[in-house]
Amino acid sequence: MQEGLSEIQNQAKDDLAKAESLDAVEQVRTRYLGRKGGIINEIIKAIPGLPPEQRSSTGKSANMLKQEISKWIEDARVKLADKEQTSEAKEMFDLSLPGEHKPYGHRHPITQTIDEIKGIFRKLCFDIEYGPEVEHEYYNFDALNIPADHPSREDFDTFYLGNKRLLRSQTSTVQIRVMEKKKPPIRMIAPGKVFRPDTVDARHASMFHQIEGLTVDEGVSFSDLKYVLTLFAQSYFGQDVKMRFRPSFFPFTEPSAEIDISCSICKGKGCSVCSHSGWVEVLGAGMVDPNVFETVGYDAEKYTGFAFGMGVERLTMLRYGIDNIRLFFENDLRFLSQF
Amino acid sequence: MKISYNWLKDYCKYDLSVATLAERLTNAGLVVDAVKPVDDDYCLEIEVTSNRPDCLGFIGIAREVANIVRSELLIPDVEYAASDESVNDITTVTVEDKELCPRYTARIIKDVKIGPSPEWLQKRITSIGLRPVNNIADITNYVLMESGQPLHAFDFDKLSGKEIIVRRAKNGETMEAIDGSKCALTEEMLVIADSQKPVAVAGIMGGRDTEVSDATKNILLESAFFDPRNVRRTSRKLCLSSDSSYRFERRADPECVDWASRRAAKMILEIAGGQVAEGVIDQNSLESKKVSVTLRMSRLNSLLGLDIDKDTVKDILERLQFKINSVTDDCFSVDVPSFRGDVYREVDLIEEVARVHGYDKIPVKSNIGVKLTQDNIFDKVTEKTKSVISGLGFDEVITDSIVGELQERHGNIWTDDRGIKIMNPIRQDEYLLRKALAHNLLRVKKHNQNYGVEKANIYELSKIYLPQEDDGMPEEKECLSILGEEGFLSLKGVVETILSQLNIVQKLESIHYDFGLFSPEKSAELKLGGSVLGYIGELSREVINDYDFRSKPCVAELDFNILVDKANLEGSYRKIPMFPMVTRDMAIVSDEEVIWADIKGCIESLKIDCIDGIEFFDVYRGRQIEKGKKSIAFRLIFRADDRTLRSDEVDALQEKILENLSNAFGVKLRA
Repeated sequence: MQEGLSEIQNQAKDDLAKAESLDAVEQVRTRYLGRKGGIINEIIKAIPGLPPEQRSSTGKSANMLKQEISKWIEDARVKLADKEQTSEAKEMFDLSLPGEHKPYGHRHPITQTIDEIKGIFRKLCFDIEYGPEVEHEYYNFDALNIPADHPSREDFDTFYLGNKRLLRSQTSTVQIRVMEKKKPPIRMIAPGKVFRPDTVDARHASMFHQIEGLTVDEGVSFSDLKYVLTLFAQSYFGQDVKMRFRPSFFPFTEPSAEIDISCSICKGKGCSVCSHSGWVEVLGAGMVDPNVFETVGYDAEKYTGFAFGMGVERLTMLRYGIDNIRLFFENDLRFLSQF
Repeated sequence: MKISYNWLKDYCKYDLSVATLAERLTNAGLVVDAVKPVDDDYCLEIEVTSNRPDCLGFIGIAREVANIVRSELLIPDVEYAASDESVNDITTVTVEDKELCPRYTARIIKDVKIGPSPEWLQKRITSIGLRPVNNIADITNYVLMESGQPLHAFDFDKLSGKEIIVRRAKNGETMEAIDGSKCALTEEMLVIADSQKPVAVAGIMGGRDTEVSDATKNILLESAFFDPRNVRRTSRKLCLSSDSSYRFERRADPECVDWASRRAAKMILEIAGGQVAEGVIDQNSLESKKVSVTLRMSRLNSLLGLDIDKDTVKDILERLQFKINSVTDDCFSVDVPSFRGDVYREVDLIEEVARVHGYDKIPVKSNIGVKLTQDNIFDKVTEKTKSVISGLGFDEVITDSIVGELQERHGNIWTDDRGIKIMNPIRQDEYLLRKALAHNLLRVKKHNQNYGVEKANIYELSKIYLPQEDDGMPEEKECLSILGEEGFLSLKGVVETILSQLNIVQKLESIHYDFGLFSPEKSAELKLGGSVLGYIGELSREVINDYDFRSKPCVAELDFNILVDKANLEGSYRKIPMFPMVTRDMAIVSDEEVIWADIKGCIESLKIDCIDGIEFFDVYRGRQIEKGKKSIAFRLIFRADDRTLRSDEVDALQEKILENLSNAFGVKLRA
């Protein structure tokens, strides 16, 4: 009986090898495994008629064979199905079709610039500080050594809310708030919104963003200011950026400086972005005025420091060649999704 | 300030090309914005900072150039021969307001011949963009540009009463200025008047009636010092400005008043003829204050990070006309000239030295070492939140804090008080501080819809300003507002994802909340552990119509500080389960009033240890469900930590759950 089974096994293998269609495979299946008249089933049915000592082993072998042939048939089907599909199908999968897209959210370009600059100053060991946007006149002017008759206090330069309240016109306010709270050493930047009643045009908005910086310690000098701001400019604008420190005037720093970088558009040759000067102004800075230290109760003989400020919109416009500041606050998604 | 390259050479000799001159001036703090060729000359446009009014004249600029090139400063001669007649016999000057006019001088020049200026003078004033008028006007302009001291010439015979009264204007007085503008004067303004009427707005512009004309014979020449603040205010109020007001606003040099008057008188004599009456009327209430400052070399070098020597410092200061009184080992004692009102402390002198020596000579080096920066939890939560929202496909917007009435119209999110008013807005219709972000997101949505962008999934993280009593400082609330186009539950899912990514484990409750912005059904207050996190809803029909939206956006506005407070960025790790879960899907039929939170809460209240999750599938109403009822489908996930659960155990638990739900809400298993 055992020999008979192995013969059937070989025969089934041959038959399957010759079956070249799914129909042919089905015929093979019926011949061997069919419920009525299938060869294996017939054998199993015949088992009760066998001598008792053969029944068990034959049953086992027959079942094993049944499983084996089932598996071969399944394999043959899969193989043929694949083959038939490829030979019959007229459709072709177009590999050049575009991928399917999930919506991708963008951060506002101003946020991206602020984040990048925060990152640079974090590397330089600066803390990040914030201050209120609605301020008392004291923090926006008095404490910053801005005299009572200074033009920036007039109502065409600052938004007033009554009761000595105003919308801060500069992030320098945060300098004072931090120095009131903490003792030196201080090393911080303060990003945030500022407001000025400028007539809105391509270069002016009534709301924009600044980043203020402050370092106070014993022995801080103008050299340190140049060093830190040079590292910043190299990091933000690239290693080969050229810098120019020019004397300027701010009420809360003395000496004061404005800092130009070589124009990245024309590489210093002169273009409309740099008004044909080859230089673009990017930062205001200076050594903290002793009057400011006095106001916050620091010993101006013992401590010195430097402060700086920059306009975020301006830096972003320079970086991407954006020519209209209004784009930032219109929030047209066709604009925002480019960043 | 416009400077002629050739004219400047009158006051100091230099041999610099115009480009080099421009560069050197810029590096000394006088930024040359533009250089324009004019015939055989150049016009340099110099940006003078507000602390340096002394550089609003050729002589001031020449002082800087003389320092740069180390040459002599050449000051013109102002000596002239006066007539026998004394000015005091011809006219009088009364200064009624000495505060607004601390100094007023008048000279009289008789029998002048009005006519065009000589060619050289015309050429000079043309070179800096001025228009020649007649010899007298050209001379006063010339001296103004030369010295920075504004002057005015009146036709003396047209002054009623032949006198000058410096007084505040009377309310309702008017005057026609030389440029034709009609000035409506008020009592805050200072005027120069004759016995009857104002003849000039002090420091700003003369009147047309008393202007020098071809018929003029006798001149009263005014040179004065006016209060800077008052000139500025009057100029703004009248929308009238001039080369004179520009200088007075920035503070002219009180000690230059008489020099400039003499200089002009001398030039008039030379060019227009006539006789200058003897003497000057000088109403001077200014006390001359000597300002002395001590400069320590040690301080200078340590503040700048330089190693500059004493001789260089001495040379720089002297060339800037600081008078050195005494020198010790470390110190200079210095007298400050009157035209340098900006210098009164040591640090001001340090700046002068740094500026002239050159910022470029200060080394780029540092002694400040490394330090550990402080953790900023606000920044961390912001970063995490933004990355989650971006990941969900929302674009960040930044909108203006100053808004219009719209925010008051469509229901208040955080407060019923009116927004804080700006006293001096630039746009008539936008004068309030926003007290919610949502309305601004709607405007952004509208803008985008107008430009054909139909879907705007956007968010903003910014401050709003909630008014406080008695005009106190507002509460500045950091808010996160999200506008979503995919329906209420999708937006709620965004909020839930943010909470879960911030590891906030407290339960989020949505409580029905009725207000104008949102539709009556889909509008909720979101609560987190008892505090109000914010609001979420689908826009009401009214708002959608108002904005003409073609979609039905939903908005959520959250108090971001609550997220910052409750976020747990440290996180912790939960072991991956060892034993498999068993799931059971259930659909129950309930009354409409029964809400998911009740069902979930009921199951949770059973405190069955091995329930690992209760996941909502959907709500179905329709043919197979009795009218007025709904079918709620959900999945129960069972798992034990220590063994594989048996099917019969789970069956029993499921039975228990159903029984409890049935007792509590009368629900039935869906057939």
